[in-house]
Amino acid sequence: MWIPIQINEMSAEPLYHQITVQLRALIVSGQLEEGTLLPSIRELAQQLKCSIITIRRVYQDLEVQGLLRTRQGTGTYVARVDEQERSRHRLQSVVTAFEAAVDAALRVQCTSEEMETILREVIAARQSKPTEGREADR
Amino acid sequence: MTDTIIQLEQVVLEREHFRLGPLQLEIPKGYISAIVGPNGSGKSSTFQLLLRQIMPDSGTITLLGERVDDERGELAAKKKIGYLPEEASSQENWMRGKDKADFVRYWYPSWNVNRYNELLRLFEVNDNMKLGKLSKGLRRKLDLAITLAHSPELLLLDEPSSGLDPISWKKMLYVLQQYMEEDNRTIVMATHIMDEVKRLADYIIFMANGRLLGVYEKDELLGNWHAFFLKEQDESELRLRQLPGMERLEAVGGGFLRVISSEARAAEQWLIAEGWSINGQQPLEMDDILEVLMAISR
Repeated sequence: MWIPIQINEMSAEPLYHQITVQLRALIVSGQLEEGTLLPSIRELAQQLKCSIITIRRVYQDLEVQGLLRTRQGTGTYVARVDEQERSRHRLQSVVTAFEAAVDAALRVQCTSEEMETILREVIAARQSKPTEGREADR
Repeated sequence: MTDTIIQLEQVVLEREHFRLGPLQLEIPKGYISAIVGPNGSGKSSTFQLLLRQIMPDSGTITLLGERVDDERGELAAKKKIGYLPEEASSQENWMRGKDKADFVRYWYPSWNVNRYNELLRLFEVNDNMKLGKLSKGLRRKLDLAITLAHSPELLLLDEPSSGLDPISWKKMLYVLQQYMEEDNRTIVMATHIMDEVKRLADYIIFMANGRLLGVYEKDELLGNWHAFFLKEQDESELRLRQLPGMERLEAVGGGFLRVISSEARAAEQWLIAEGWSINGQQPLEMDDILEVLMAISR
């Protein structure tokens, strides 16, 4: 099974963190439904070109957070996420993404005004375009 | 925490023009470890030492819990090992693939004929042909099928992809991944194809000039080594000597410096705290890291 996780190799953010954030977002947003069987640790490691040490850590951490469930011998599944949890998690992944964007801006000495302008422009551009592809998949 | 499947203690091999070791190395069970190094770094000799095809001048080798310094230990360990040497043996040229498979089957009680046929089909090789008549790639695939068909616990692969076309190469990656799905399987592979290492390896063992440069967890290694591009300032060199994990500093023209750190996160924080503006940041490729490590070890 292919999991839509994109690694940014240029980022200084550790792989482990990038994968955890994205996988968590896929689960809490409901894109990966309850009961979905995830790829084996080795399979996902090969897909993302990272080591099984990293993937094992990601699965273990998300299991501790109650988002994944491991059944001995059969594999790792998406657990049930209750509504309260979902709304709490929902914004968390967005906050993380904004933090990364702000870091990128600071690296090239953007001012707060510049950042806000960019944000408004991006939002406007996205809203003016009919959303295609990604939305249609759901 | 992790079990060790191969242990080398102070292993030394002396040859007229080459000295290997002393090698002090532990390879973990259940993972894929890639031995990476330039030609002549001692990768193949290390495999031959593990298999007692050559004897060390000193030191001890333990394989799957058995010390391989006597015949009994050697035999016990070898039954659980699949070894793919770097070069196909020309002494086998007269044999058909079938004959070789029969020969290997005789020695390995765990030989699985279904698995063997399945691998031949996947790789699209015919074992009716004489080995000497097969192209390099076809022969590689046949040998790989034979190596895997007795379901070894430990796979030793010396440049497994040499001679393979890109499609066969992908099939090989798939087969190796599938092999690792069973518990307690281990692969140790020598390679200098960086893409192979990126896709398969969990641990990286760097070797050069007969010496071990280090053993690293892959993601940690790649995540830790970054190059930063900075605008040159007064006394840059002096100040940057304090940079955490500083490995190399060079001017790259246009008033820019490229500085390599092996502690990327700490280096980034240090640069920001010290008021440097980072004009660019790039993770290093594995071969670039190897090059820096080789330069340091000289």
